[in-house]
Amino acid sequence: MVVPKQKKLHKAKITEISQVSKTLYYIKFKPESLFESKPGQFVSILCPNHTLRRPFSIASLENNEIGVLFKKKGSGTEYMAGLKIGDTIDFLGALGNGFKFDKDKKSLLIGAGVGVAPVYYLKKEIEKAGGDNRLIVGFMTKDEVPSCMSFDEIATNDGSLGLKGSILDYVEQEIISYKPDVIYSCGPHIVLKTITEIAQRHSISSFVALEKVMACSIGVCRGCVIKLKKNGTTVNASVCQDGPVFRGDEVLWQ
Amino acid sequence: MAVDLSVNKGKLKLKNPILTASGTFGYNFEYARFVDVASLGGIVTKAISLEPRPGNDWQRICETYGGMINSIGLENVGVKKFIEEKLPFLIKGNVNFIVNLAGASIDEYVKLAQICEENKINAVELNVSCPNVKSGCLEFGTDEKVLKSLVSQVRAVFSGCLIVKLTPNVTSVEKIALAAQEAGADAVSAINTVKGLSIKVRYINGKFQKETVQGGLSGKAVKPIALGVVNRISKILDIPVIGIGGIYSLEDVFEFFAVGAEAVQIGTANFTHPDISERLVNELKGFMETNGFQSLDELKEKLRGE
Repeated sequence: MVVPKQKKLHKAKITEISQVSKTLYYIKFKPESLFESKPGQFVSILCPNHTLRRPFSIASLENNEIGVLFKKKGSGTEYMAGLKIGDTIDFLGALGNGFKFDKDKKSLLIGAGVGVAPVYYLKKEIEKAGGDNRLIVGFMTKDEVPSCMSFDEIATNDGSLGLKGSILDYVEQEIISYKPDVIYSCGPHIVLKTITEIAQRHSISSFVALEKVMACSIGVCRGCVIKLKKNGTTVNASVCQDGPVFRGDEVLWQ
Repeated sequence: MAVDLSVNKGKLKLKNPILTASGTFGYNFEYARFVDVASLGGIVTKAISLEPRPGNDWQRICETYGGMINSIGLENVGVKKFIEEKLPFLIKGNVNFIVNLAGASIDEYVKLAQICEENKINAVELNVSCPNVKSGCLEFGTDEKVLKSLVSQVRAVFSGCLIVKLTPNVTSVEKIALAAQEAGADAVSAINTVKGLSIKVRYINGKFQKETVQGGLSGKAVKPIALGVVNRISKILDIPVIGIGGIYSLEDVFEFFAVGAEAVQIGTANFTHPDISERLVNELKGFMETNGFQSLDELKEKLRGE
């Protein structure tokens, strides 16, 4: 076991904060020291007067400025929504394994709701490497679509923007028309489970970024453990350390 | 001026009184990127059982007001893998460590202690109080006769420092603590988590959604309970007490010293502030230097006397 020497505990100044849709906020912050990350990795932000840090996928990293997309859900994210430019936050990162991509493969990226964050970052990185990709996303309604991001295709459940229906209704036809070699996705559990099933039906490899309540966020507490199927046996894996990105066909979906 | 932070109470020998609690610090190397683990008084490893345990299936953690509830279920690699894979790192890193042991029967505890003895492990902490496993653990810590039998049988095979971790989930923690002492324990640590339950109810689309986590409460919320227990047992025991429960600051450490703790363990706070253990060692040292305390015993004496 090699201990990573890279600094993981950071202080950062908020450089930008905005409400980018009816339900989502986008926050940018700049750590004092050099920060490196891969799409799919996450940061764990300290919320004062809360026992647990809050984990968020990294949505962008440019000029040492980290972007995070979040939904105001409870008192932790309420604190974050109240941050102002110039405020200092304390965060851990970059944590987890992240997506591995091959620029020579055609990548279909799928995001649902706030889950668009890591696949949006992945798209930027694949593009930098000159790889072929397509990002399709789904939201309940157009009011939820973040104004700061652009996508190749949008579906809304109520049809108020883009295609009408769940993004899941369009995965199969995207596979047929775009012919991807690999699918990367992030979103609610049921969405990722269904995408994995569709990918398996078409014999396409799929990778999913999972979400789970975390305590330590570094693999110690075993609080965010899921089950994987590996070589015919069931094994435990922590979402924070072994994930959050897993091969879809290895996850024991429940 | 050099200050002496050491704890020297019978077989409990520590370079300083700041330890990390079982289950919150892994096997040490996970935190090596945040703290100099060798600078700590010691770390207590995640509980080790005879066979590997997969832990519980359901939602394992949730945040509560001033704390969190966990129901991990003692997931661990088992003693064989611990000895082969984790122990060399602890030794190589020059870390003072205490191995936390969890058995499902007295026999299992004895076997675990024997393995520790054979591997020249200096200190063990018996987990007789995990609230999250169906068989074993908690029942050993709630019945003084069973506990006495367990501790004396472990004592017979283990020559190092033997610590018994007490649960607050009993009618008389004093009786349990005395039983541990009579059976030959070198120290007790208190408290393990407090049994609790969190249920979050949401009303969505005409339906109630419930999310329940039942397990052990830890964090700031349990500090008064822990202080109460440490206060009660340190008065009646001759062996040292290690205080655990909601320690987040040097003031918290002093509070535990004031009620009789000789050392403390930092638990849930590691999750929130991964560098807190080393910070507390430095803050304690700084405080002693600034205020002219030459030894920890001198500080504790003054704290308890005034």
